[in-house]
Order: sequence, then C-alpha cells, then structure tokens
Amino acid sequence: MLKQKLTPVLSRPASFWAKNKQWLILPGFLTLLWACGGAGSDRLPILGQREAITKTVDGKQVTDSVYQTIPDFAFVSQYGDTVTAKTLDNKIYVADFFFTSCPTICPKMKVQLKRVYEKFKGNPDVMLLSHTIDPAHDSVSVLKEFAQNLGVTGRQWLFVTGDRDKIYDLGQKSYMVTAQADSTAPGGVIHSGAFILVDKDKHIRGIYDGTTEEGVDKLMTDMDRLLAEQAAPKS
Amino acid sequence: MSILPSLLAVLACVCFVSCQSEEEIKRERYITEGILVYKGNCANCHQTKGQGLAALYPPIAKSDYLVNKNKVICLIRYGQQGKIRVNGKQYNRPMPAHPQLSDLEIAEVVTYIYNQWGGEKKVTDVKSVAPVLEQCRTELSNATMK
Repeated sequence: MLKQKLTPVLSRPASFWAKNKQWLILPGFLTLLWACGGAGSDRLPILGQREAITKTVDGKQVTDSVYQTIPDFAFVSQYGDTVTAKTLDNKIYVADFFFTSCPTICPKMKVQLKRVYEKFKGNPDVMLLSHTIDPAHDSVSVLKEFAQNLGVTGRQWLFVTGDRDKIYDLGQKSYMVTAQADSTAPGGVIHSGAFILVDKDKHIRGIYDGTTEEGVDKLMTDMDRLLAEQAAPKS
Repeated sequence: MSILPSLLAVLACVCFVSCQSEEEIKRERYITEGILVYKGNCANCHQTKGQGLAALYPPIAKSDYLVNKNKVICLIRYGQQGKIRVNGKQYNRPMPAHPQLSDLEIAEVVTYIYNQWGGEKKVTDVKSVAPVLEQCRTELSNATMK
C-alpha cells in the first residue's frame, strides 16, 4: 500500500527531468559557446563602461560594443618633459595615485610598486605611471628627488604632476579610483590605494589593492598573462 | 620549629620572583601595546621590521640615532623637519607629528622600539616619558613665540 502510494510521487519529478532534458542542455551549451567565443577562460576581462555602437560595414548594419579607454592627457614627468597617452603606446602599464608627503598608505604602495618595478625592470613592454594628487607641493624637482630616493632610475617608471583638476578627473572618470582633497584626512587628501592595469589598447584590465603583498602578487601574475596575450601579433 | 627559616626563605623567594615577574609582565604589556602603536603609526614608512625604505625613510632597526632617546621620544609626538643623518646616510623628508598619541602610547612604542632594535630589556616608563615630552613642548612653544 505504502509503496504504491509513494511511487507516483517519486516518478513524477523523474519524468519531469526526463521530459525536459534536451531543454536543460541548451542553456548549458550556449554558456559554453559564449565563454569560448567571448572572452576565453585565461584572458583578463576588460573593465569599465561599454556602449553598443551600430555602424555600417560593407553595407550591413553591425552592432559592436566599445569599451572605455584611457583618453589622452598631458602631464609633466620627474625629468621635466611632457608625458601623454602616446608615451605609453604599445606598453602595458600600471597606474596609481599618491603624493610624496603622504604618511598613510602611499609608502606601502611605493614598497609594493617597487617590487613590480624590480620584477619587470628593463622589459620594454612595461611601464609604471604614478600620478601625484598634490601637485601644489609635488613639483618636478620634488618628484625627481622622491624617485631617486626610492631608487628609481630611467624612464620605465614615470612620476607625473600637472593640473590638479585634470589629474583628479582622469583618476575618477577614467581609472575609476577615488581622489579628492579632504582637510580632515592625514595629509589633506584622500585617495585610493589601487593599482590599475592598462593594456596596449588603453583598456583597463584589472584593479588591485596596492597596499598589500597579495594584491600585488595577483597584479604581477596578471601582468604576465597580459603580456603573453598581447605579445601575439594581432590578426 | 626548624622548618620556619626555610619557610621564610621560600616566602622571600616567591616574593622576589613575583616582583620580578611583575616588572616582566609590565614590560610585556608595554611591548604588546607598543607593537600596535608601531603598526598603526610608524610601519607605513619605517616598515614592519624597522628597516626603513631606501633613501626615503631612515631605518629604526640598528639605527645609531637611537642613542638620542629623548629626541626620539619628542620627534614621535612633534614630528621632525630637515636633514638628519642615520648610520652615515643623510635623509631629508619631514616626519609628521603624532599629536593623537598619548604619553603612555609613546612610552609603549618607545619600549617596543628599544627592546626590539635598541638592545634594551627594560620598560621606558610613562613616568620618565612625560617630563621629556613636557620639556619639548615648552621648548617648541618658546621657539614659535620668538
């Protein structure tokens, strides 16, 4: 009696799965297809806003997604020369925001970025770009002394200064980090401790915690991946 | 009867040991608190092992500057400007003041620094730190009035 009663209850869900099996496979298959055709499992994602652009190619309407890129800029390096987006053409680079008199997280960030510098020293495909967010104090000569004191030579790691609002704007809108003056914060400025990884197409490919060793270990691993990805000639 | 002197001796011993360990407990307490003060206020620049950072920030570990203990106590609270020489190397980056640290916290971090890197095995008591800080405060306010 009991068994008979139970059987229909059990068989109902079973028949449900059996009936709908082919439909369940479909979304799984689609996901697989999307993952393969889309980003690829070992490629870093492209971060930031994207918009769909419809354009006409060979007389057909094609919709393409356009990713946020780092726009052009013009700042001055620790050597006194102008640095623009062009300076970083064909390079992957790490960007950060700091100021030389910062007593809080900047020294930690500089210790960590120094590790990145040591690891990729001499690699012509890699650059580091540190923006000061206190340009009133961090003049070219202050940045030069800071870089020297940190043990940085050459042009692979540039420290840049410029118009304060332009630096803040670029940081907030393009690199997606926070940077703003705040008289209540130690040093008078609050800012993020992030390192931003930018690829050769000026797309943001990763944002890392620049104050911790783990965050920067991850950054260095991802830099190797990005270099491998972008080393191949474009088809 | 003959047990009394030895009992007294044991008692004296216990007393002595407990006095010693009270001092030791205090030292450990100062150091434990001092580590936290150090991590929160000093380690960003001077690093967790006190090694400093390149030519930017001088080392505290094995630093010859530690002989000036009163100066060390004062610069923790009031900061330090201009060039200083540590282990034969010159540094020229201002150190910010730490007015938020209490006398006790300064005593604790100084105890930690000197036990960890200055070869000391004793407490730098808050009672000895307070007058040093008071004197620096007077000197600094006199200097700014001039």
